Parts: sequence; C-alpha cells; structure tokens
Amino acid sequence: MFDFSWVDFNLFEVTYDVVVFVVGITAVLAALGVILCSSPIYCALYLIGHMMCLALLFLLYHAEFIAAVQIIVYAGAVMILFLFIIALLGGKKEKQEFSFHKFMALGFVGILSAELMLSARVGKTQPVEGMFTPAKITEVGSAKAVGIELFSRHLVPFELASILLLVAAVGVICLAKFPLKPLRRRAR
Amino acid sequence: MIDDIVHFFEPYIYLIVGGVKAIIIAVALTAVVPGLVWLERRLMGRFQVRLGPNRVGPFGLGQPISDSIKLLFKESIIQSSADKFLFHLAPAIVVFTAILSFAVIPITQPFEIFGQTIGPWIANIDSGILFIFAISGMGIYGKVIAGLSSNSKYSLMGGLRSSAQMISYELTLGIAALSIIVMTGSLNLVDMVKSQEAVPFILVQPLAFLLFFIAGVAETNRAPFDLPEAEQELVAGFHTEYTGMKFAMFFMGEYINMVTMSSLVTLLFLGGWNTYILPQNALTGFLAFAFKVLFLLCFFIWLRSTFPRIRYDRLMTFGWKFLLPIAIFNLLLTSALKVL
Repeated sequence: MFDFSWVDFNLFEVTYDVVVFVVGITAVLAALGVILCSSPIYCALYLIGHMMCLALLFLLYHAEFIAAVQIIVYAGAVMILFLFIIALLGGKKEKQEFSFHKFMALGFVGILSAELMLSARVGKTQPVEGMFTPAKITEVGSAKAVGIELFSRHLVPFELASILLLVAAVGVICLAKFPLKPLRRRAR
Repeated sequence: MIDDIVHFFEPYIYLIVGGVKAIIIAVALTAVVPGLVWLERRLMGRFQVRLGPNRVGPFGLGQPISDSIKLLFKESIIQSSADKFLFHLAPAIVVFTAILSFAVIPITQPFEIFGQTIGPWIANIDSGILFIFAISGMGIYGKVIAGLSSNSKYSLMGGLRSSAQMISYELTLGIAALSIIVMTGSLNLVDMVKSQEAVPFILVQPLAFLLFFIAGVAETNRAPFDLPEAEQELVAGFHTEYTGMKFAMFFMGEYINMVTMSSLVTLLFLGGWNTYILPQNALTGFLAFAFKVLFLLCFFIWLRSTFPRIRYDRLMTFGWKFLLPIAIFNLLLTSALKVL
C-alpha cells in the first residue's frame, strides 16, 4: 500500500511560512504603490491595502487584539477620512514632471538605504523583555496584556500622546470655527 | 490506504472542520437573503394595508427566485466614464466583508458529534467583537468606492454620506458595546453569552441596548437612516449606476449586515442561545437564537415602514450631540458601578 512517511515536513508550518512571506511581499508592493501611483484615489486604496496587510501580519503572529485595533483605527477610521477628503476635493491625476523634489526624494532614499545597511551591520534586533511570556499571554488574552502594559509601565507617554492629540483637535477646531476676521459675505 | 490517508490528515482535522463550517455558514447566509427580501416585502405590504407579492407560488414564495433569475440575466451596463476596476471591486468588497464579519458569531452552544466537540462558530477569537467592528468598518469602503468610481454626482454624494454616517454612528455603537465589555470583562462573544445565563443584559443595561440598536440601524443604512441611498433626493445613492447582479450584490451585503447586526444585538443584550424557559441544549439553543434574530429582523422592517427618513443635518446632530454623550455617560456610570 501507499506509504505516507516520506512526507516529513509539517504541512501547517510550511503553509504558515508561505502565507507570512506572501503577505509581507504584498505589504511592500502596496507601500510602493502608495508612492508610485499618480491617482490620489488609488494611492489611498494602496495605503488601505498596506494597512490590511500589516493587520494580517499581526494576526499571523497571534496578536489578534493589535490586528483588530490596527484595522479599526488606521484602515477604518483614518483612511475613510482620507477617502472622504479626496472625494470632496475631487481626485485629479498628478502631472509627472522632473523637479527639485525628485532630487530631494532621491536623497532621502539614499539616506534610508544607508541606515538600513547600518542596521543590518549591527545584527539581530533584540526582543524587549517584559513581564509577559507567551504562556502568560495565552492565559490572560492579548487585549488584557496590552492593557496592563499600556496603563502601568507606559502610562505617562500614553497620556502625553493623548494630550498631544487633544491639542491638535482643539487647534483644528479653532482654525476652522473662529476666523480672526469675520469673512465678508457676498452681497446678494 | 484509506487508513493512511486518515492518519495523514488527522493532525489537520480542525482545518477540515473549520472549512466545512465556513462553507455551511457562508452558503446559509447567502441563502437567507432571498427569504429576507420576501419577508420584508410581505411584511411591508401588511404594514401598508396591501397584499405584497402573492402571485408567484404559495404566499408569493417564488417571487425572490424569479427576482434573482431576472437580476442574474440582466445586462451589466458600465458607463464609459467609470473607473472599471474599482467599479467591479466595490460590490465584491460589500459582500465579502458582510459574510466575513459573521465568522466570529456563535449561533448556539458547543455540541458533540462523532466524539468531536464542535463549536458552532467559524472562529472563536479572543477579541471577537472588535473583529466584527473592524470588518464591518471595512464594508463601508465598498460603498465609498462605488460612489467614487461611478463618476456621477448622486453616487458621490451617496458614498460621502455613507462614510460620514458610518464614522458618526460607529462611535456610539462602540461605546454602547463597551459598557457590556466592562460588565463581562471580556471581548469574547462566547464569554459574553455565558455571563448572561442568569439574566439577559437588556434588563441590566436598557440604555446601552437602546443606543446600540439605534446605532446599529444607522450602521446598516436602514430606514430611517438610509440617507446614503435616499431615493427621493439621490436617485439611489451610491448604487445609482449599477445594474444586474452587481446591483443585487449591494442588497445582499445590506441584508447580511442586517442579520449580523441582529445577531450581535442578540448576543450582547438578549442572552444569545440562552432559552431561559426551555431545557437548554444545542438544538433549543439554536432555535432560541434564530427566534431572537428573526424578531429583531422583523423589528428592523417595522421601523422602516413606521418612520420617515430623517434630515441629513438632524442625523449628524442626533448622532454627535445626543447619542454620543448619553453613551459616554452610560459607560462612565457602568464603570463606576463596576468599580464600587
């Protein structure tokens, strides 16, 4: 009869690796699409795709809570506002022309790749050791783990970030709602 | 040989079970849609003192079949100024997200079959309720993209309204659900139902139920919150330019979203599969769940035929200045009571 013992690799692990690789490559391609596409609507859609891929990566690394939050906050709330603005202002294709900005962009690309090489020279990144081990996270759940860490150890930076966002919101309302000089209405 | 094959697949049995469950739920959801359309038309007829569809088959039950055949064979017209790729993508997104968000909904209690304990859900993930909010938030892109790609004023306005309405009412929805999360201390839907074994949360949190239901009606774009497709002002909103099956797919998405939202309300507030009066097992659990969902669906239809559509600025004022403060107040009160 047939012998299946020659199948010595773990099907699940191989599939997992392949899926992680494909999602990662898609994320990079989508990120390239954001900066290379000329139509603003497609740029926004590529950005949404990129964020979905990041959420999928989080999901593949068993961080369900972070994945859900990533989709709700970035792919959901932030990007819908982007699309809203594009729809309101009318997305027109940009003209491609050679300019000083391109040289600046090239410079940035050079700096980034140099930094990438430097970081590759330094070696592997080290995981940050905390109170949570994988066993403990499966016990309490990833949402609780994130919550405990965020509201105990990183409370001050968290609150500072929320104050920063509040200041930005108040500033936008001030700019939009109360102009220094009252606008002159056109005579009817 | 069969033994070998069985032995080879044994470690992956949960994948096979999951796949079968996924297929069953996806097919059941899409099959529910024509029935729901029929129910809505019959009930609307009764509410408006007329008969509704009653010519095709007994009680007009053949009407949804004939309608779907008609929609399938209609010519698909795409105007030349539309963005073809996005135009095709939009209805697919709507249906895909609508079916996907049902994946974490448990429809009855776990039961045993062939010695395997089977959970009646596709996935029982740790933060199930967040998953539903996330995926149903993605569904709105289908509507916005439909509005943008159609290259028509009515569609664009429909898409814009859709996104604005979504952002406004998602907050209330989330905060109303948060008070339940605070009470149960878990984001898992199964845990939430289990903590309602004694008493459903609608009796403990009536205000949160009301807020959640109103925001849920607004989220599914049903009347009286159907501003994105207001027939009298926007022709048909974001799906003005769509024909044939692509047009029908938007409706499929809307009806599946209705089912998902009703299931979510059932799980969060009405005690899910808890029967309370009947003996509790998987079958009665499913019947109780189905009954509650069907009741809520009829309630949706009842709302549609009772209330007129509200004005756009009133919609925004209602959402931001009335529902949201009450929801935040309710959340604060719940958390304070929980801590005390």
